[in-house]
Amino acid sequence: MSSGTAKSRWPYLLEASGLPILLVLMCFFFSVLPETSASFASIDNIRITLGAQSALIVIAMAALIPLICQEYDFSVGATAGLGAVFAASAMAAGAPIIVAIAIAIVLGLVVGLVNGFLVTTAGVNSVVTTLGTATLIAGVVALKTESKSIVSGIPASLTDFISGELFGIPRGFYIAIIVTVGVWYLLRQTPWGRYLSAIGDNRQAARLLGANVKRRLLSVYLISGALAGAAGILLIGDTGTASPQIGPGYTLPAIAAAFLSVAAVQPGRFNVWGTLIAILFLGVLNSGLYLAGTNPYVNDFANGGALIIGVGLASLLGRNRSQQA
Amino acid sequence: MDEAGTGTVLWMTDVVKSFGGNRALCGVSLGINRGEIHALIGGNGSGKSTLLKILAGVLPADSGSLKVQDRAWNLRDFTPEAARESGLRFVHQQPTVFPSLSILDNLCINGQYSIGLMGNIRWGSTRRRVLDTMERFGIDASPNQLVGQLSPAMRTMVEIARALQGQEPGSQSVLALDEPTAALPSREVEMLLGMLQRFASQDSQAILFVTHRLEEIVQVADRVTVLRDGMDVATLNREGLSKAVLAEAIVGRPLEAFFPEPVAQHPASRPVLELDCVNGGGVRDLSIAVEAGEVLGIAGHMGSGRSTVLKLIYGATTVESGRVCLDGRELALHDPEDAIQAGIGYVPEDRLGHAVLPTMSIADNLAMVSPRDYWKGGRHQRKQEFADAAAAIKTYGIKADSPSVPMNSLSGGNQQKVVMARWLRRGPRVLLLDEPTQAVDVGARADLWRLIQDAAAHGTAVVIASSDLEELAHLCERVIVLKEGTLGIELNGASGLSEDDISHALHDLEAA
Ligand SMILES: Nc1ncnc2c1ncn2[C@@H]1O[C@H](COP(=O)(O)OP(=O)(O)OP(=O)(O)O)[C@@H](O)[C@H]1O
Ligand SMILES: [Mg+2]
Repeated sequence: MSSGTAKSRWPYLLEASGLPILLVLMCFFFSVLPETSASFASIDNIRITLGAQSALIVIAMAALIPLICQEYDFSVGATAGLGAVFAASAMAAGAPIIVAIAIAIVLGLVVGLVNGFLVTTAGVNSVVTTLGTATLIAGVVALKTESKSIVSGIPASLTDFISGELFGIPRGFYIAIIVTVGVWYLLRQTPWGRYLSAIGDNRQAARLLGANVKRRLLSVYLISGALAGAAGILLIGDTGTASPQIGPGYTLPAIAAAFLSVAAVQPGRFNVWGTLIAILFLGVLNSGLYLAGTNPYVNDFANGGALIIGVGLASLLGRNRSQQA
Repeated sequence: MDEAGTGTVLWMTDVVKSFGGNRALCGVSLGINRGEIHALIGGNGSGKSTLLKILAGVLPADSGSLKVQDRAWNLRDFTPEAARESGLRFVHQQPTVFPSLSILDNLCINGQYSIGLMGNIRWGSTRRRVLDTMERFGIDASPNQLVGQLSPAMRTMVEIARALQGQEPGSQSVLALDEPTAALPSREVEMLLGMLQRFASQDSQAILFVTHRLEEIVQVADRVTVLRDGMDVATLNREGLSKAVLAEAIVGRPLEAFFPEPVAQHPASRPVLELDCVNGGGVRDLSIAVEAGEVLGIAGHMGSGRSTVLKLIYGATTVESGRVCLDGRELALHDPEDAIQAGIGYVPEDRLGHAVLPTMSIADNLAMVSPRDYWKGGRHQRKQEFADAAAAIKTYGIKADSPSVPMNSLSGGNQQKVVMARWLRRGPRVLLLDEPTQAVDVGARADLWRLIQDAAAHGTAVVIASSDLEELAHLCERVIVLKEGTLGIELNGASGLSEDDISHALHDLEAA
């Protein structure tokens, strides 16, 4: 589509492809670096790296959707953990897999409903609301599990399916990609998604354009909650256990990836493919560092740095966009 | 007066500025004399606001120089601080007041609090000074009210008061105002213009003044600089200024039949829109009916409830009691969504706050009224949307490279055209317009008037709230004048209304 003059197009293309190029370069780097060359490009490492990202991808999608309307959901990780723990204990008690999946999704919807109600009807700020619900969920999970991991009673058919391979890549990763495509479709192709962009751009104007902001935000929190809850199943599938501590740790990387997306594919905007690339970028970085024998705390540096850089880029690129074409 | 005369207090030379590949200014020079009101005019997108932003130091020029207070500056690295120190004061086209602070804080934020011995703010004397300033500028509100809750007109007055307060007589300063009157009703315009004239003649204040309302220029300007496509094409002196001369200078060609012929009577028909004893948002017991093809005008002073009437019909303000009916059926309006689905369109008064989606494209801004129109076969029909947007850009004379450029890269007047096109191209059942031609140039104003009349001719019932009496006289068969939220006078001109009729009605109602 005609988009700007030849002059203004090049920096745009550079911004759009910067992070993907960096990702490729980094893969290349770890493949030739003496410390990691043997292990990095191995089938095993690719499987582990991608498998570990599947749940994160879905959780990041759950964080991305509210972000599009300038709402912050800090409860996505905790919700995933909630889904994992309740689904696992249901299966341990003999419930069929399909019921367990339904439990995870319904719990996510409940969290979304609470968040959405507090934000839209009670008018509580989204950061405060979701930090609050995240803390409450942690309490519920601790109560349910007595702070112990659920390790037995999870059907092997579930873990085998999710961490089993198709063309050398775990199935969970394909599931995550399917979810990503679905979210892309919702955000970029449907009227619902376009209203979300309008709400994020100017809430008052969106309301006067018929966006029905309250109802749409409620639906945003519901979908976000459902995705996060469902991600709990991927967490079980990847590790074969459900730990009460695992969920909350996903919130920050998920939000970091969603923020970093402004630096890829569609510069200056939060977007689906940019989020996916950011996750792969962080995943490859962390795996490379691990294989290179660095201390685990280096990963914290990587994730924290990514969040700050992402937020910084978001405001910088956003500002650039409003100053020039 | 010769151009570099002794009275010159500010002198800009050869200012150049491009955005991406587009030249917004191509070598503009401008001098302002002490004690003169210097008008800067030109079509939408001709570069006026860009020039003022460069002068304020908020936008760097590509090249150009500035002489002010015997100092020479390179406009490439002129800063807002330097502009302040050089005695330049601004009222920009985009509001720069703080919406979540009170009027008092907005007026004092640049160090005008009175400070006590302990470095504490002395609220009593600060408040007295602020009340005094508010009185002088006719701001009828409590100093504690948040600026975000004021109407755009009141907000503009706060902005103007902030820039003008504490001007010392005979100072070397220059005051630059970018379309300060665009959102003001006539009484406030008169007050502001009178104030500017006093500053210029008594205090020798130099004033640079951007407006699209030509009568204001004829009334107060000493000299006029005309911009066209980023070039200063003419500087006119006070002698021989008339609206026709100015209009021709702006558009660049003689305009014979410039102002289209006045109102055609619409054929009598059933009312489309009826309000029955409607209360809400300060409006009380209002009953009106508008027929298909009719253009109803709403006049009134600041705060009389003109905008609220439109918001009530659109479901943006809650109707507390009474009925709003469309085609005889009562509407349940809980949200603008309901109004849109019923076929009602609305162009709000506050363009930037309530109408524009700033970082989204022109195409998105046009389509967001009803994104479902471009949702076919489960896909967003982007090609179709772009083609339609490109057509609208042509029809509505929007100055933009392509439908994909973001809204905030357009000039103010061109944004307003997009906002109008959003509804006009759909031909709604009822169209509610609040200051529809604010910020657009004379040529575009005439075009928009014609398009509004076309819409009416196709059966749309139009309601216009406007402080531009010429606009009301030109478009409306019937004008209601509001006072304090109630219907004061209804003017029914079978043979057309004149500006004078409406302005007399406004006066009478105030005197009553
Ligand atoms: N941030 C920006 N990015 C890209 N182009 C811009 C930007 N700001 C202004 N322009 C372009 O510069 C030109 C001049 O704009 P400017 O706002 O100075 O016009 P103006 O004379 O003030 O018009 P109006 O009467 O409508 O307010 C326009 O073509 C506009 O599209
Ligand atoms: Mg302007």
